[in-house]
Formats: sequence, C-alpha cells, structure tokens
Amino acid sequence: MSSVMSIVMPGERVPAVEDVAKSKRIILGPGLRRVNDTVVASKAGPLRHREPNTFWVDNYQRRYVPARGDLIIGIIKAKSGDVYRVDIGAADSASISYLAFEAATKKNRPDLNPGDLLYARVLNASPDIEPELVCVNSNGKRGKLGSLQDGFFFKCSLNLGRLLLRENCPALKALTEKLPYEIAVGVNGRIWVKAHSAAETIGLANAILSLEQAGHSEIDKVCENLGDVLQA
Amino acid sequence: MPSKAKPRLSRGVLDMKFMQRTKLKVAKEDDDEQSRALYSNELNTKMLNSNSNFIIEPSYAICEGLIDGRLSFRGMNSELERLMELEQAEKEGKSRPEQPKEVSDKEMVEAYYTNKAPAASKTMGKKFNTKNDNHKRKSNEQQKFNKTQFKKPRQDDDV
Repeated sequence: MSSVMSIVMPGERVPAVEDVAKSKRIILGPGLRRVNDTVVASKAGPLRHREPNTFWVDNYQRRYVPARGDLIIGIIKAKSGDVYRVDIGAADSASISYLAFEAATKKNRPDLNPGDLLYARVLNASPDIEPELVCVNSNGKRGKLGSLQDGFFFKCSLNLGRLLLRENCPALKALTEKLPYEIAVGVNGRIWVKAHSAAETIGLANAILSLEQAGHSEIDKVCENLGDVLQA
Repeated sequence: MPSKAKPRLSRGVLDMKFMQRTKLKVAKEDDDEQSRALYSNELNTKMLNSNSNFIIEPSYAICEGLIDGRLSFRGMNSELERLMELEQAEKEGKSRPEQPKEVSDKEMVEAYYTNKAPAASKTMGKKFNTKNDNHKRKSNEQQKFNKTQFKKPRQDDDV
C-alpha cells in the first residue's frame, strides 16, 4: 500500500482523484463522494491510495458504520423471536437469525445468551434498515466465524482494528514472538484476545492498546517495544 | 418481446427433485424481470446510458485489502491455525496437495488395451472390414439387441 500523505477536509474537492478518474475506472472508498463529475471528501483525514485504483480517507473514528462483507465482533443483547439482537457498535443494533449458524435448525437452536461475543460477517448493510449478520459462509460452513469463548474483550478505535488487519502487520508478528495467543479483530473497533493465563491476556490487551497512537510509519518502532509493555 | 418467445419450463417439471437448482435460477430471472418492468418508466435514457468511472465501495475492509481478523499463533487454537494454513496455501496459488494416484498411468494403459480399447479399436477396425464382415456384425448386434428387454424398476431402486 502506498500512502499519499495529503490531508483532506470535508467538503473539499479532491483533484488528485479526479485526474486519475479521467483515464480509468476508480474505486471510491469511505470518506469520498462523487458529486456529478467531481470528487468531494466527506471526512477529515489523510487521503490514502492503494494500487491500482482505490482511494479512501483514513479518518479517526470510533463509531462503526456497517458495510456489507465486514467481519465484526458483536455482543448479544437479547433474544427476540427468531433473531438475536447484537450490539456491533453501530448506530443501530444488528440482528442475526437463529438459523445463521452452522448446523442450526428450527429445533436445534444455537445456545447463545445475552453477553456472549460473536465473530460474524455483515450480510446486509443499508442506511435504512438494521444490519443483518451471519455466522456461516455461503456453503453453510462455520469457518472462522462463531461465538468467542473465554478470553478478554475490549474496544478501540476503528483505525487500530484496521491497522492490525493490514497484510504483514508487524504488530501481531512481534507479539507472536513473545507468547502464543489467539485473537479476533473486528473492523468495528472491537478486539478479543486469549492467551494461556489471565496475566498474559491482560498484557496482550495493553500491548495492543499501546498501538492506538501509532501512525503507519512509526509502527515498526513501537512494535520493538511491545515486549516491554507485556512485562509491565 | 424476447422473453415471451423464450421457452418456459412447466411448473410440474420444475417441482421435480433434480430441477431444484434450475427452479431457483428461473425464479431469480423472473424476479429480475419483474423489478426491471417495475422501474422501467422511472429510468430515463441518461441513467441507462451513462457510464461512470466511479465505483463506490463503502467497506474499509475491501478498500484496504484487510485480512480476516480471526487469528491464532503458536498452537493456541489448532483448528483455527489449520484453516489459516489452508487459506495461505490457497493464496499462494498452491491448490490442494495432489492426491496420490490409485491406478498408475502404466496400469491404466495395460488395462485399457486388455479391454481392447473398446471405442477406438471398433471405429478403426471398421475401416478394414469388408462388406461381408459388416453385414455379419450388424446381424449379430441385432440379435443382442433383441435379447435385452426393458425391465421395470422396483419401487425402492431409485433412492
């Protein structure tokens, strides 16, 4: 990923993107809008670019806006009829059907209670209807989705979640060298970690939270010191 | 209208067990056509013919090419790590490890020719037959054909 470090403000036209759009088809990510033939920023932050043709604004944000296909962590809030209400950190709570789990039938319902954590995929996201989640892929298999047992859960900014999920992220690699662990990172700014002991788990959570202020460039340096945070 | 001219499968056929996938496909086509008909007077030519160079993608995960967020390291969750490995292998273009052959190529060839390579040898053999041979073969086949008779399947055969 090459990052063009230019800061855009909401309402500002982005001529750099418009120029590219003249010659080829481009993808406008979150934070950029098309107004007729101009591109206008709708969020404040650094403009990012990924080869070949994707642009978006990487703004600081803690409120999740559901988007189809995202992998998120949700907390079950209630059972209601045929669905569970799930809090995913968005403006509206999401719903997940009893039948959206592996091997679930009308008789054989998943055993989930309020307070349980779910790692799920957003199936439907639209501004007008509440988001819908699933815990199976299109073949009806669970894969990596499902409820998260034990471990420790905490919230962070959306940026931190995305930072950890970038390909070849040095942070997770640096932590792997220190201890074996299991992690679930939702793009909705929620992280669940599990290590062998409670002390290790808490240390892991602290280490991850210490990355909150790290930018894309200084992350390598911070990762070198992650071990110290774990000890503390 | 082309849709009218298109042959349609009857409901009776679509309800058959083996037609379920076709049934879904047909239902989807019908749906699409209906929605197109519904909005057809709302769409103007500009909307139909304009081709924009912009694709809107609301998901950060797709824009940034983020990986799946469920990870395990150093044997914490072996089931998960196996899934991760499979995914990694797929990404690197290595498909599944090649299955060992139960029958080697050589054995296959031998077996094929001991069975006289049925189809090929027949067609090539025909070229060198005289008319007399041909006639004999035909009458032979006729006899064979007469012997085989239709047998009514039993009720429990077709499961």
